[in-house]
Amino acid sequence: MTLPDRSALSRRDYLRTLVAIGGATALSACVSESGAVDVPTGTDDPESLPARQHAWNDVLSRDDDGNVQSPEHHVLLPLSLVDEPTDAARAQVEDALRTLERAYEWSNEGLVFTIGYTPAYFDRFDDSLPESVALPEPAALTAAENPVFDEFDAVLHLASDHSQVVLEAEEGLFGDHDDLNGIAVETDLTGVFERLEEQRRSGFVGAGLPAEHTDVSGVPDSVPEDAPFFMGFRSGFIDSQATEDRVTIEDGPFAGATTQHIESLETQLRTWLEQDSHPMRVRKLFSPEHADEELVGDVGEKLTTTNGLTDERIDATEADARDGVVGHAQKAARGRIDGEPPLLRRDFNTVDGDRPGVHFLSLQHGIDEFVRVREAMTGADLDVGNANNGILSYIFVDRRGNYLLPPRSLRALPPTNPQ
Amino acid sequence: MHDHDLDRRTFVQRTGATTGILALAGCLGTDGDDEDEDRDDPDNGDDAEMPRFPEIDDPPAAVYRPTHRESMRMLEPITAGEYTLAPMLSYPHPFWLITGGTGEDDVERVDPEQGRGVHLMITLWDDDTGIVLPVDTSATIRIFQDGDQIGSPQSPWPMISQEMGFHFGDNVPLEDDGTYTVEVELPPIPTHTTGDLEGRFTDSETATFEFEYDQAFRDQVVGGVEYLDESEWGERGALEPMDHGRDDGQHGDDHDDDGHHHDNGHVPDSALPSAEAYPGTRLEPTDGVDTDLPRSGDAAVLVTLLEAGSRLADGDEQYLLVSPRTPYNRVPLADMAMSVTVDREGEPVGDADGVALEQTIDSEYDLHYGASLPALQPGDSVTVTIESPPQVARHQGYETAFLEMPSLEFTVPEESDA
Ligand code: HEM
Repeated sequence: MTLPDRSALSRRDYLRTLVAIGGATALSACVSESGAVDVPTGTDDPESLPARQHAWNDVLSRDDDGNVQSPEHHVLLPLSLVDEPTDAARAQVEDALRTLERAYEWSNEGLVFTIGYTPAYFDRFDDSLPESVALPEPAALTAAENPVFDEFDAVLHLASDHSQVVLEAEEGLFGDHDDLNGIAVETDLTGVFERLEEQRRSGFVGAGLPAEHTDVSGVPDSVPEDAPFFMGFRSGFIDSQATEDRVTIEDGPFAGATTQHIESLETQLRTWLEQDSHPMRVRKLFSPEHADEELVGDVGEKLTTTNGLTDERIDATEADARDGVVGHAQKAARGRIDGEPPLLRRDFNTVDGDRPGVHFLSLQHGIDEFVRVREAMTGADLDVGNANNGILSYIFVDRRGNYLLPPRSLRALPPTNPQ
Repeated sequence: MHDHDLDRRTFVQRTGATTGILALAGCLGTDGDDEDEDRDDPDNGDDAEMPRFPEIDDPPAAVYRPTHRESMRMLEPITAGEYTLAPMLSYPHPFWLITGGTGEDDVERVDPEQGRGVHLMITLWDDDTGIVLPVDTSATIRIFQDGDQIGSPQSPWPMISQEMGFHFGDNVPLEDDGTYTVEVELPPIPTHTTGDLEGRFTDSETATFEFEYDQAFRDQVVGGVEYLDESEWGERGALEPMDHGRDDGQHGDDHDDDGHHHDNGHVPDSALPSAEAYPGTRLEPTDGVDTDLPRSGDAAVLVTLLEAGSRLADGDEQYLLVSPRTPYNRVPLADMAMSVTVDREGEPVGDADGVALEQTIDSEYDLHYGASLPALQPGDSVTVTIESPPQVARHQGYETAFLEMPSLEFTVPEESDA
């Protein structure tokens, strides 16, 4: 594994690059770069942690408007089972994950994580999943895509504001690292799971981070300085997101679970940032009215806790399409159910493969709700040219995966029909 | 209403002559280095070797003759499933995007980010009928050098140009000289199809071609720029369409009137059939016009009523076929939104809000907008409202036309044979 040239990169960019590379060498480079970061330790008492794996919002930081801020660094580790699940393997997985919880505070300063299981994982059991769980095989969702599907068994999502923490946690679970923030690693995941390194994904989110990646081919210098996302705007306003309660499965043996969809996209930033003007980007990302009324600001700073989509603007989608341009968020909001957004989006930027993209990770009650909203977002029903149909002509879907995130009590190799 | 002052101001503001000149600077570098091309530095444009893109004062809010003919390299057409694609390459150059509305802010001039690279264009046509498909395919293009992808995937813009008609294209920056491989993914075509095209274009296809980017290419495309006589610049009119695959290039504006141009060299032209080739009852413009077809925003708009029982009509209704095209070259104007209202003796017939016309490609009548309507009567007045102008990018000479497009009023003539 070759490390990036330290002198050629800013400190933050260097750290981000290390997360993308992963592994022991990257970790030690990261440690020596960050020095001794004071990372709060976790807890010995599993009962003190939320019953839901996806219960992150209460422990993450908030921006000035009170919106939940995503942790800065993310890793998605695709995992493949070495052998069929046994009770011993279950105990090992649970012990290993508890080690992470002892080592790091359950927060953005420490570590938040989830483990999710694919339909391919559940296929090995005789019983099918209960009806309360809507987890179909992933499928292509638009005419223009031909994605690779996540057909491995599980994905571990690690997230923290400290690059060192995500790297260290990964090395503790799979590498030689036997000390996590002062906690000895007695049990790791080796022997039960194999890490699929060539499918490992990583990313970052936060004001200013995207603009530090202009060294990557396909990331133009024009990425706005303060933007938290590559396309240049804030996202994830609290009133435009589902709550954790909304996405939680309440009934059946998997009560407390949720479903996760991961759509990995490449983005065309050159034409987006160099050819389209700022008002045009606002039209295409939010709505034409957002541009005409100047509701957004340079990077979304004028919006506070909502993306500003009133029922009226959402209802105007079809008419706006016929007038020539329709906004991405406006279209997607047509997928709201009883006026509420069904998706809890936890997407992040990436430069995996040395090209800009997004790992669009979303939680929802069932995958059918993701499909519903994705179809509304695609807007194949709208009378509008592709180039003016939201951001469709700037995003290119590479992969899709569907997952069940069981409640914490069932996160270690769950059967299809737990008691 | 056209606002000439507005158009001129917008145009001048967006056309600063220097930008055009500088955009080309990189194509000419004899040693191929232009790394620090500064598009804002006016001195950069003074190199005598450089082709000039002089400013045109006060172009009309209509189709006009640009300063020069573009020069390009045609690559061998390639087939992919039902399609044939003809790739063409030129130097990176400015073009204009249409951004929704019909006002001053709704045309955006796009300058190349750097001089090194190509303006990549692709004409796509159906092998069976020879019809150029003027549709929004949402194609994806990926470019590779030595097996490595260069930059991110991109969706080329649907565009119109006086010389190439309807095509897809974009500027593509390239750093190094060498051989590049282009992969074009074509998803199914979503546009409504009729006639022999019905049920076609439902599969995704991938086409691949290669090109050489080197000094010889730059010399060819930059050296081949042909300037028009200065007196013609900005005059209403248009360049003749390129005679793809032949080199005489000398046919007039009124080329073959028989319909499609299947055998015009080996790349068909996107031109629509001439007005005479359409059947049905041609509706009469209510206000007399002195052009063959009434104009809106300088688009020539053919409106004909196909009789009940026409294969395009539902049941026993009539079919209103609206075919907007560029004047002179009959380039189809795609991605418009239009609706129609009918009045009889001052009262609306049917839906007073109008019926949306559906964008359709037909094997005989090519791209048009149509709707089935219950029987019209002589004397009925028919209003075609243009809700949005063609959302296709424009090469020079088309960017001031087809923007503000007033509605058109017609009368169903007495001797209706419909
Ligand atoms: C490059 C990819 C994407 C970017 C840059 C992006 C960006 C944005 C932005 C800026 C907003 C408005 C602010 C907000 O509400 O957070 C938004 C809203 C939204 N986006 Fe995306 N998005 C992307 C992909 C997707 C995908 C793949 C989906 C899948 C369905 C999606 C679904 C939504 C939804 C549901 C909303 C909110 C709609 C509502 O208010 O109900 N986005 N997005």
